[in-house]
Amino acid sequence: MSFFGILIGIVTLFIIGLGFPLVIQGERRFSYLCWPYMMGIGFVVIIASVFISISWLSAVAGVLGATFVWGSTELKEQAVRAEIGWYPYGQRKILPPFARIIEKWKAPHL
Amino acid sequence: MTINLLGLIAAFTAFFSIWFGHVAVRKIESISPTIWLPSTIFAILGLACEWLSLEASSLQIATVFGILGITFLFDGFELNRQQKRIIKGHAPANPDNSRHAKILKEYASATTLDLLKREPMGLSLTIPEDARLLEK
Repeated sequence: MSFFGILIGIVTLFIIGLGFPLVIQGERRFSYLCWPYMMGIGFVVIIASVFISISWLSAVAGVLGATFVWGSTELKEQAVRAEIGWYPYGQRKILPPFARIIEKWKAPHL
Repeated sequence: MTINLLGLIAAFTAFFSIWFGHVAVRKIESISPTIWLPSTIFAILGLACEWLSLEASSLQIATVFGILGITFLFDGFELNRQQKRIIKGHAPANPDNSRHAKILKEYASATTLDLLKREPMGLSLTIPEDARLLEK
C-alpha cells in the first residue's frame, strides 16, 4: 500500500486552488493577452519536470505546469467576467510585450 | 541526466481531468434533474480511484489514480457550485430541466443567456448592456 498517489492528489487540489487567483490576478493586472506567457511558463515547467529525478517533485512540477496551461485557457472568459462586473475590473492594466500582436490571435478556451 | 516521465504523466492527467471535469460538470448539471445523484456518482468514482491509487504497484499508476480521484471528488463538489452560478445568472439555465425551470421562476437573477459567450472588449460593461450585445 502506497500513499504516494493520494498525496500527489491532495497537492494537486491545492495547486488547482492556486490556479483560481492566478487567473483572476493575471487577467486583472496584465489583461487576458498574457495568455501565451502563462501557457509558455506552463510548458517550460512541464518540460523541466522531466529532468527532475525526485519522483514527488517531478509529479508536483508536472501538475503545476498543467495548471498554468489550463489557466491560460481561462483568461479570456475571466476578462469577460470582469467586464460585466462579476469581478473587479482592472482599470490600469500593464499590457504584456507584443500585446497588439497577441490581440490578433484567437485566445484559447476549452 | 536521467529522464523522469512521472511529471509528464502527472501533467497530462491533471490537464485532461480538469478539462473533462470542467465540461462534464456544466453538461451534467444542466441536464440532471437532481444534484445529489451525479454528486454521489462523482464521489464514488473519486474514492474508487483513490483506493486504486493506494493499491497500485507503480508510482506512475498511483499518480494517475491519485490525481483522477481528487478531480472526481472536486467535480462532485463543483456540481453544487454550478447550481449556485445558475441561480446568480453566472451560467445559463436550461429551461427544459425541471430543476432549472424552478430556479428561473424563483430567482430573478437566473437567465438562459450565456453572458460569457463573447470576446473580451477591453471595457467595463453593465450586465443589461452585455445582454443587449448578445441579442444582436
